[in-house]
Amino acid sequence: MAFSCKNSSKFNGFSGCIKMVMVGTSAIMMQRRTLAMEASLCVKKSKKKGADSVTRPNSQISAAMAAVTPLLLLLLLSSAPSFSSGSRNAYNINGRVKIPQGLGTKGYALPGRMSNVKVLLNGGQNITFLRPDGYFSFHNIPAGTHLIEVSAIGYFFSPVRVDVSARNPGKVQAALTENRKGLSELVLEPLREEQYYEIREPFSIMSLLKSPMGLMVGFMLAVAFLMPKLVENMDPEEMRRAQEEMRSQGVPSLSSLLPGGARN
Amino acid sequence: MAIGSFLILFILFFFSSLNPILSLYEDQVGLVDWHQQYLGKVKQAVFHTHKTGRKRVVVSTEENVVALLDLRQGEIFWRHVLGSNDVIDGIDIALGKYVITLSSGGSILRAWNLPDGQMVWESSLRGPKHSKSLLLVPTNLKIEKDNIVIIFSNGRLNAVSCIDGEVLWEKDFEGESLEVQQVIQPPGSNLIYVVGFASSSLFEMYQINALNGELLKHESAAFSGGFLGEVSPVFSETVVALDSTGLILLTVSFQNGMISFQQTPISNLVKDSFGPAKIIPSSVTGIFAIKMNAVTIVIRVTDENKLEVVEKTNHETSISDALPISEGQQAFALVQRAGPEIHLRVKLAHNWDDNLLKESVKMDQHRGLVHKIYINNYIRADKSYGFRALIVMEDHSLLLLQQGEIVWSREDGLASIIDVTTSELPVERDGVSVAKVEHNLFEWLKGHMLKLKGTLMLASPQDIAAIQSMRLKNSEKSKMTRDHNGFRKLLIVLTRAGKLFALHTGDGHIVWSYLLQSLQKSKVCQHPIGLNLYKWQVPHHHAMDENPSVLVIGKCGPSSDAPGALSFVDTYTGKELSSLSLVHSVALVIPLPYTDSTEQRLHLLIDADKHAHLYPKTPEAISIFEREFSNIYWYSVEDDNGIIKGHALRGKCTGEVADEVCFDTRELWSIVFPSESEKIIATVTRKLNEVVHTQAKVIADQEVMYKYISRNLLFVATVALKGSGEIGSVTPEESWLVAYLIDTVTGRILHRVTHHGSQGPVHAVFSENWVVYHYFNLKAHRYEMSVIEIYDQSRADNKDVWKLVLGKHNLTSPISLYSRPDVITKSQSYFFTHSVKTIAVTSTTKGITSKQLLIGTIGDQVLALEKRFLDPRRTVNPTQAEKEEGIIPLTDSLPIIPQSYVTHALRVEGLRGIITVPAKLESTTLVFAHGVDLFFTQLAPSRTYDSLTDDFNYALLLITIVALMAAIFLTWTLSERKELQENWR
Repeated sequence: MAFSCKNSSKFNGFSGCIKMVMVGTSAIMMQRRTLAMEASLCVKKSKKKGADSVTRPNSQISAAMAAVTPLLLLLLLSSAPSFSSGSRNAYNINGRVKIPQGLGTKGYALPGRMSNVKVLLNGGQNITFLRPDGYFSFHNIPAGTHLIEVSAIGYFFSPVRVDVSARNPGKVQAALTENRKGLSELVLEPLREEQYYEIREPFSIMSLLKSPMGLMVGFMLAVAFLMPKLVENMDPEEMRRAQEEMRSQGVPSLSSLLPGGARN
Repeated sequence: MAIGSFLILFILFFFSSLNPILSLYEDQVGLVDWHQQYLGKVKQAVFHTHKTGRKRVVVSTEENVVALLDLRQGEIFWRHVLGSNDVIDGIDIALGKYVITLSSGGSILRAWNLPDGQMVWESSLRGPKHSKSLLLVPTNLKIEKDNIVIIFSNGRLNAVSCIDGEVLWEKDFEGESLEVQQVIQPPGSNLIYVVGFASSSLFEMYQINALNGELLKHESAAFSGGFLGEVSPVFSETVVALDSTGLILLTVSFQNGMISFQQTPISNLVKDSFGPAKIIPSSVTGIFAIKMNAVTIVIRVTDENKLEVVEKTNHETSISDALPISEGQQAFALVQRAGPEIHLRVKLAHNWDDNLLKESVKMDQHRGLVHKIYINNYIRADKSYGFRALIVMEDHSLLLLQQGEIVWSREDGLASIIDVTTSELPVERDGVSVAKVEHNLFEWLKGHMLKLKGTLMLASPQDIAAIQSMRLKNSEKSKMTRDHNGFRKLLIVLTRAGKLFALHTGDGHIVWSYLLQSLQKSKVCQHPIGLNLYKWQVPHHHAMDENPSVLVIGKCGPSSDAPGALSFVDTYTGKELSSLSLVHSVALVIPLPYTDSTEQRLHLLIDADKHAHLYPKTPEAISIFEREFSNIYWYSVEDDNGIIKGHALRGKCTGEVADEVCFDTRELWSIVFPSESEKIIATVTRKLNEVVHTQAKVIADQEVMYKYISRNLLFVATVALKGSGEIGSVTPEESWLVAYLIDTVTGRILHRVTHHGSQGPVHAVFSENWVVYHYFNLKAHRYEMSVIEIYDQSRADNKDVWKLVLGKHNLTSPISLYSRPDVITKSQSYFFTHSVKTIAVTSTTKGITSKQLLIGTIGDQVLALEKRFLDPRRTVNPTQAEKEEGIIPLTDSLPIIPQSYVTHALRVEGLRGIITVPAKLESTTLVFAHGVDLFFTQLAPSRTYDSLTDDFNYALLLITIVALMAAIFLTWTLSERKELQENWR
């Protein structure tokens, strides 16, 4: 147990705490929208000042953000420059993680999940997080070939091979390692959604009938209702003969097995 | 016929209830697994308590976690685990809505949205040289209506906009030897003072305009005595420092740009001086503290820069930062430990004599001393000030104190686990049963009716919730006795704080905890380090009455020849049985496969001088040991020199360390890797307690292959010297990876394979006769996993039954170490998508169940991958026979099936290790993953073939039986009646 709450048994404390977290996350969802507004305003401001040490989305984006903040992650279509050279041997890698809205809306859509996305360089050598608009950057990266991985619960991202070239800085060379697809700009999208749980089949008559139990019951019913019909159509003489045959073979009948069956 | 069908039905029903469960359904979360979130030892805390809204606190920890906690309950609102080399230097709250973190040696500045933890902006700060990193968030300093953050890092002073992280101005301090100590921003002014030392005897002061970074004044003054350590600011234009001897206190004032020193020998303040002092920096106006050995002295600076001692104590004292409570008033807290209580005092900075608050709080002895304190105030109903204090204890736990009580506590020591072992629970005896029986029949029936409803999917949402809580609250799983299936055990974990915890596998609650005295800072041992945990005594058979115990091994300091410390702890009671301070060091611990009459396991400790020491030090142990003297071999790896050596025992120690249980060793063999081309990066052996069920493997065409099973196999991976760096630092042509299989008794290399164009890091796991390793392929720029299986060829001819009958087999032929073992290896490689942090393999009691690899991915998830996918006999088109054997067609990469994530939708943040322990039930294995978070679950690699699952619906079974019986009797009476009618006709 992570903590023990005051005046409560450990068990109660635990379940209570889970509830609290749920409340907290739903509150967060509301606040994200306002946050996006603020972020867009900052970008505008920085443009005015003309300071440009860090690469940022251009003002066209911020206009879009201000207009349609809830859909902000999706409407950004313009690309950001992927590299900016810093000092002599260190470069910055800038990119974007884009999670299309079609994905992730069903099932357990966690609010604020963008804040739980991590971007990892070279197997965890550098770890960075996403800005509200999905952009990320790695600073002071030497020239060479690097590997970027995205860790996001619920999505499968292919690692990306990124070449940072010392000769022509600013040139984008990125490719997904899973399917060797080249990327013209460093926009990472999940290859697929990951469903961690088996899905319980909803209750239906068909599934019940198809189950071994259902089949068995069906078979029994068929025997119980169809057999007498068959027997009826039989010649009484033949039936008696068959019955006698069965008795002589000593096949145990139901009545002889059950208590009181011995009476006959 | 009805009976027959009834039986068939029953059997079918039985099997249908065992329907394959590939993985978890969402409603099964929490049934057998538990997940706990921790933070690590808090190193900074900032309160965020407005009059309205939630009371919260932001913390940063030594595990590089930044988190927002609820102050009422101690729950985590949000949490981010930064990279392992992204150490947090400072945190603060800006604008009341952003959490600012400075990390990576002051080169990364991030702002997080306070309510939800979304990163808002990130800035990279660079500078000319390495230096101390300081973060300052002035409350009312604005540049064009923009609040700013002042950062000093890497020899550069930056002013960064709070809103978007833009650097507004920067100023370099490139003085050759300048070491900046403090950045002071007097409240209410637009000035920044940067003070530091240059060339060890110069005191430098820079006055800077905070609005544009303009240098207003630069003064320096020499002090012949030099300076030592840190400075503590006492007033906005006065700091206190120590001279290089640590005996004289210097009050440095730089009012109006004039630097003046005032010397006060410590011996003038306190009569009995205890040698060099150390300044404990504090932000309280006019107050600072020094520490001399174990004595803490609190000193007040008067307005005329006179020093006077206000308190001198032998107790370890922690002082909080200053808390401004009203206009010009500052409060701060002092906390001390005295026996079973801690004493908390809150005072005003300018009024030492009165206490605002004085409280004593009872504190568990096993939390140790108070390491840190942070205070916050609130206004009581009667308009007076109340204080709450957040304290960090020696065992890394975090507690909130308010009104003399512990409001909540978090066991954050569990975020830094060093080693894990398990222990059985006591056997259930008559009278000690703690089982809770269902209250009455009605309750029981109601429960089962609910379950039945759930199975038939007729349950309403409320019912589902009721069923779920019923399942989760199942008292069976957290019982304190041993169970039939061996699912209930104690996980004994050793944390970095030197505390031992016993966690129950059922629900993860802490059964007991013990702060090991041998791993606490003491006069003898300044930096104790916990190393390992071993099972010391596992009673079964003839020593049932003994309690099991574990051996904790630690050492004093990081050097290799630091003396070791042993501690023996009873795992039922959680009490230390005994402890030993060793005279020798501990370089290697070998648990021997021998136990004495009380089931104490023999352990051999090898010290840095290559002497072996036997524990326990009893005559019985020595006699057992001497019997097996010639059968003990071990190896040592010197990664720096690239040498692997094999060792054996020679005889009793000679020389001054002569001791009954000390033995000399000899070197048997050594393998020297060429240092210019190969560097050892990974070595892996089999787990000592691994059970192998069968040595033979029957393959498709009725052929038999014999696994080469040896406990003495070592897997070694080396890389080219150039390729030992990070990914991207080498080209494929100049990097290669070599994998070796080495017999550790003879030193013979059984197999060697080179992967060209590959590099580390290598993560490997060794089990039975195979090893799986993960590395990076530079040519494809993807990760790869390879498997090597090793088979014994010398016994391959023995498969003919007639040869065995006629005695023409070679089973009895002597095995010599000098003859080359006749082995063949098979191997295959596959691509694997993710980076890997650790790999483990499932283990079961008898080793019959097929194995799964447990891969801890970089995303802090644990993926279960069947060993079948890593079978060197996979081909692109397997034959019919091979398909029947279960060989999967070869693919170039290993599949990642989301449902096979053991951790399902959870993350084990900061994952470091995965431990598997067999349950008593053959099909099941227990998995414990630890990092900053803890996660535990049960796994059935080949499904639970030997027991009914928890889902098994007994009520449905009963109802079916009853219904069938009723149907039988009904049909029977009907047939009776019909027969009667027939007879009458």
